Amino acid sequence: MNKATPIVLLVLVLIAAGASFGWFLISPGGAVSYQQGTYNSSQVIVLYANAQGWNYNSSNPNPTLNEKLHTLLEFKVIEQDGLPHTLTIAAGPNETTDTSNWIVNVPIPTTVGSVTWVNWSFANPGLYTYWCTVHPYTMVGKLYVNGTANSTSNESAVQFSVHDSSNFDVHYQNSVTYETADYNEQVR
Amino acid sequence: MGFSFELMVFGSTIAALITMAFLLYYFTADYKRNLLGESASSLTKEQSNLLLTKMRREISFSAFFMDDSKSIGVRYLITSIVLFFIGGLAGIGMRISLWFPNPSFLTPIQYNILLTAHGNIMLYGFAIGMILAFGYYLLPSANKIEKDTLGVVKSIMFWLFLIGSLFIIFSKSTATWYFYYPLVDQLTEAGGGTYSFATLIGVTLILLAVTVSSVIFLKMVFLDRSKSIPLSKISMFSWSIVSTAVLVLTSAPVSMIANGYLIYDLINPIFFQAANGQVLGYAIMFWFWGHPLVYIAILPAFGLIYEMLPKYAGVPIYSYRAGVFSLLLLMIFSAVVWGHHLFNSGLGTIWDLLFSTTSFLVVIPSAMSVFNWIATLWSAKSIKLTVPMLFVLNGIVDFVIGGILGVYLADVGLNAFIHGTYAVTSHFHWIFIGLTAGIGFGAIYILFPTLTGGRTYNVPMAKVHFYLNSVGTIMMSGFWLVGGFAGMPRRVAGYFGIFQTYQDAAAVGGVILGIGFLIFLINFAYSAYLPAKVDVRNPIEDEVQVT
Ligand code: HEM
Ligand code: HEM
Ligand SMILES: [Cu+2]
Repeated sequence: MNKATPIVLLVLVLIAAGASFGWFLISPGGAVSYQQGTYNSSQVIVLYANAQGWNYNSSNPNPTLNEKLHTLLEFKVIEQDGLPHTLTIAAGPNETTDTSNWIVNVPIPTTVGSVTWVNWSFANPGLYTYWCTVHPYTMVGKLYVNGTANSTSNESAVQFSVHDSSNFDVHYQNSVTYETADYNEQVR
Repeated sequence: MGFSFELMVFGSTIAALITMAFLLYYFTADYKRNLLGESASSLTKEQSNLLLTKMRREISFSAFFMDDSKSIGVRYLITSIVLFFIGGLAGIGMRISLWFPNPSFLTPIQYNILLTAHGNIMLYGFAIGMILAFGYYLLPSANKIEKDTLGVVKSIMFWLFLIGSLFIIFSKSTATWYFYYPLVDQLTEAGGGTYSFATLIGVTLILLAVTVSSVIFLKMVFLDRSKSIPLSKISMFSWSIVSTAVLVLTSAPVSMIANGYLIYDLINPIFFQAANGQVLGYAIMFWFWGHPLVYIAILPAFGLIYEMLPKYAGVPIYSYRAGVFSLLLLMIFSAVVWGHHLFNSGLGTIWDLLFSTTSFLVVIPSAMSVFNWIATLWSAKSIKLTVPMLFVLNGIVDFVIGGILGVYLADVGLNAFIHGTYAVTSHFHWIFIGLTAGIGFGAIYILFPTLTGGRTYNVPMAKVHFYLNSVGTIMMSGFWLVGGFAGMPRRVAGYFGIFQTYQDAAAVGGVILGIGFLIFLINFAYSAYLPAKVDVRNPIEDEVQVT
């Protein structure tokens, strides 16, 4: 056996394992993603992850949201029915399966009562759609972002940039040990 | 839809590149086809015997340019070791991320990618690769085969296997190793992953490779075997490969067909639609292969135990006939138990009870093998606790624990509670790490002088590897088991705080395992680097006294 073979094999194994691990972790699918805008205030939006609608217990299960530009939108998503859901936001008034148009896409853990925080600030005003990719017919609503863009931003509704996973900020909170949704919120 | 134009361009470019590389390989490397510079089929009988028995194949990268059985075995061995470390790092990554109840350094999507990659690479890349490696490597000498033919076919199948593994790695699917419809066909990040279908293609290529290789194995054992070995005397390892090959041939094609349907459904969804109730149809087709697969992953390990144990116990195996009977019975029974994975899917009570019963019956042949080994140890005058023997003993213990757990899982009532918990994960990691991986390492240690051309491994280091492997399995699978019975769900990136103790202990176990495997690699590289000083023969293939 050639003396170099074992060393080459060792190096090969380490490189292959490391490179694959890195590949598994970089942005899924390598899609283009959207850049977050600046903000000077924040706004909490409570949504319920329930297959009947984001606000399932009211007369308007999928409210149209009106928000201001330069605001950090803090979506507080409370898992309500134990089914798998996602909070997905696309640029434009309609749902789309074209993932390159997705601004935010976060799976919601299925533990009933768990809270998932999804923080995002839009870079541009416009009409957006928020929905759940698992229940695209019953969990879909519109989101208006009002205001004027800063002069530096693009003509298009949103800006492109190469994906960076720090773009949007997700916290998972587990109701049992960390934070339980308020009783009032859970039973609405 | 998901099938965009860029995707097609991307796919065809990759395909063209692979084809070009392949042609380049075949035209430039042709002259090296085999050891003696001639095509294997034109060798005389004496020459090919020489090829197989005298010139032991060593681990070397030139094996990738030679087509004889032993070289093909070496190719699979190298590839499956590399894949083992890729899959293992993914596993340890998941373990570490589960240290805290909230998803820590892995987001749920990243966790799912690692989960799918780990399961698929370990099963299709490592377990199947290892079986093909030992099959190609040991069968020719075990059966003293007279002609080593079909070199080109074996070689092509190897390349398909390698390309399949690359597809699995590159796809970054999140569909888990079940690829259940409709998840696998939802080509989005929150669905099965944008390139989820690439896993299907990769797995199908590997299935093709293992199916064709199985035919070649059967041919080697039954047609090419030397006339000096009657059927009643062929080695236990050959019998284990025979039962594996038959299992592959009866079940792998079903999975290939199902994968084909899934790929067709991407373009024109007609097969596995909820409307005609056929979503469960896919699950059935999958498990028709899925359960045999897990036995395919351990039967050759059984064969290796049958070969290795008597060498260190100093007596022949207690009962050859019972051993063969047990292997063949395992082959038959494991083809009819697949329904135990679908107890909670609504097959119906009668079916559930049927599959529960057949699952209990599997215990009979399994126990026959275990008792056979115990009887062999019992009748031994002195047992030599060398490193390979330690792996064998540990493998037997792990199999007993994992197997008994399987019987618990096969109880329809109990299954409703522990299905989908870490108890299942624990069940199969006992066996996969203890047997599939452990016996694989044991066999590498016993073949070490041959594989490295006359080097010996560093025994203390190898023992450290063994102990870390053993303790790591006990910690990881043991704590998974306790947590599983307490209801700890599997396949999640975060969990309830009450399970943290089990998860953290298991994480420590996982890291211990990882360190052990790294020590194996370093030991291998270090010892093999030193000058050759011992005989290149080994106890499995030749009549040598073990020390
Ligand atoms: C005594 C024989 C065995 C019996 C009765 C048995 C029984 C079972 C049952 C009932 C399940 C389903 C658990 C569930 O999902 O609720 C299961 C899962 C599994 N078994 Fe076994 N088993 C046996 C041996 C083995 C062996 C030798 C292996 C090889 C390593 C193995 C590998 C697996 C795997 C990989 C799974 C989980 C598949 C998955 O859901 O990901 N089993 N077993
Ligand atoms: C290096 C040692 C290993 C570690 C640390 C490890 C760790 C893990 C972890 C953390 C999971 C995921 C559990 C979950 O979330 O449900 C898992 C799943 C799995 N592992 Fe391993 N594992 C190791 C070795 C192996 C080996 C040797 C095999 C097979 C030959 C194997 C086959 C599997 C399979 C089939 C799954 C299930 C994947 C799925 O649910 O889709 N693992 N392992
Ligand atoms: Cu099974």
